[in-house]
Amino acid sequence: MKYIYLISIFTLIFSCKVGPQPINYGKDHCHLCDMTVVDKTHAAEYVTKKGRSYPFDAVECLIWKLAKDNNENQMAYILVADYANPGNLIDAQKATYLISENIKSPMGANLSAFSSKEQALKVKKEQGGKLYNWTAIKAQLSK
Amino acid sequence: MKNFLFFFFISLTFFAQTKTITVCPSCTIKTIKKGVLSANDGDTVLVKKGVYKEHLIQLSKSIAIVGENYPIIDALGNKESIFAIKADNFSISGFKFINVGMSFTKEIAGIFVTNSKNFVLENNIFQDDFYAFIIQSSKYGVIKDNKITGHAVNETSSGNGVHVWKSSHIRIEGNTISGMRDGIYLEFVQKSHIFNNTSKNNVRYGLHFMFSHHNEYYQNEFKKNGAGVAVMFSKHIKMHNNTFHFNWGTASYGLLLKEINDADIFDNIFEQNTIGINIDGCNRIHYKNNHFIRNGWALKFTGGCYSNVFEFNNFMHNAFDLSYNSRLNNNKFEANYWSEYTGYDLNKDGIGDVPFRPVKLFSYVVNQTPETLVLLRSLFVDIINFSEKVSPVFTPDNLKDNTPLMNPVNPIE
Repeated sequence: MKYIYLISIFTLIFSCKVGPQPINYGKDHCHLCDMTVVDKTHAAEYVTKKGRSYPFDAVECLIWKLAKDNNENQMAYILVADYANPGNLIDAQKATYLISENIKSPMGANLSAFSSKEQALKVKKEQGGKLYNWTAIKAQLSK
Repeated sequence: MKNFLFFFFISLTFFAQTKTITVCPSCTIKTIKKGVLSANDGDTVLVKKGVYKEHLIQLSKSIAIVGENYPIIDALGNKESIFAIKADNFSISGFKFINVGMSFTKEIAGIFVTNSKNFVLENNIFQDDFYAFIIQSSKYGVIKDNKITGHAVNETSSGNGVHVWKSSHIRIEGNTISGMRDGIYLEFVQKSHIFNNTSKNNVRYGLHFMFSHHNEYYQNEFKKNGAGVAVMFSKHIKMHNNTFHFNWGTASYGLLLKEINDADIFDNIFEQNTIGINIDGCNRIHYKNNHFIRNGWALKFTGGCYSNVFEFNNFMHNAFDLSYNSRLNNNKFEANYWSEYTGYDLNKDGIGDVPFRPVKLFSYVVNQTPETLVLLRSLFVDIINFSEKVSPVFTPDNLKDNTPLMNPVNPIE
């Protein structure tokens, strides 16, 4: 009987962990613009401290939504897709952002995110554009 | 002098005559690439039947490239477009493009056009290509009577049928598109016409508009697309005589309107969709003479909408005619036909004598708790709907059609 209690307590603890849900590409809808999330190189997601995940079809949608609701401090995770590594979600606050005319993103901001600055610099060299960090990109998009 | 001029012009046409370059597997010119290289402005490159394993054919001349009996251009999965074009006054017709490779980071198409104008791309067949057409920063193009089929399984690894970006005055006409991600995708496109196309079984949208103003689409058929048709962030769009049907699924709409202003939606048929039209943040839209037949929701309002007018529409046998989550604002519902209407017409002028309230209380309940949908058509739901009808408490008091029609407008068989 003891064991059953222990097991159920453990399951309860672990099942309540706040963590990012994987994005269901092609099924999930963007929390801001309602478009189906399809682009593995530009998708994004945030997870509230209560544990709910909200997917976005584009990094710009996530940033616009955060600016609109002004609730960045209520988020447990803010994640963006790594352009160099499709399907991989990385920490938005540590990512490097590139706005390049030659790399189109789903909502027209030409914005991509990279996990490493070297990768971003490399792509910038090939495609042109300008690099930003998290604070700078938020300022840029709220213009 | 007159004779001289006559002779002069005759000789001019004679000397200006252009040549035709023939390409075939057994000719001296065996590849389309070489054929294009040896052509001058005004020439025709005639390609005979055969299989040409080519990609990245650069075109910067004003020539016509004509395929005879659909020669096949096989890109063999290479990550380069088959035709890469930057030219004015050209045409490509009568080819079959197959196996254009896919990439997550690069746009690759059967025909990739940039910074061009005055072109005609017609009568081509596309099979299993990543993108069929990509048109960028171009003007005055015609994309006509092409057949595009893909085997898109999921949305991430597939491209769009006709993908137009930052262009204007494009005519997309008579194409059949299936099995792609979005059938037709327009972003930053102005003053274009999309008509007589059939877009079906695409994994995402049959037609997808973003930031594209002053466009018209008419007489198109959108069928069984993953999420229907989406028209977003655009102004002055005219949509008429289109058919949206069989778009079923939790995430599926006949038509998804998001932040659309000043549009006309006339004479369309919405049949058997989960949601006929999903309306989010749309202003000054005129809905007239549309048919909403057997949808889950005919209309679903999900955001602040102002000054929309609904008149002379037929709402027939929908599970919910209207779902509304805010105040009426100044939207108008006038003189529509509602198959649910149970009023009477004593003076026989064709207009019902008691107003019709299209929002049922139960649709509010479903909005809050979607799982309650299993109770649909139960006695309990009928009772709460009836009591709400008698004395409206939850539904906006002024959300009603004061002049409901007794008979459908221009019914279709």
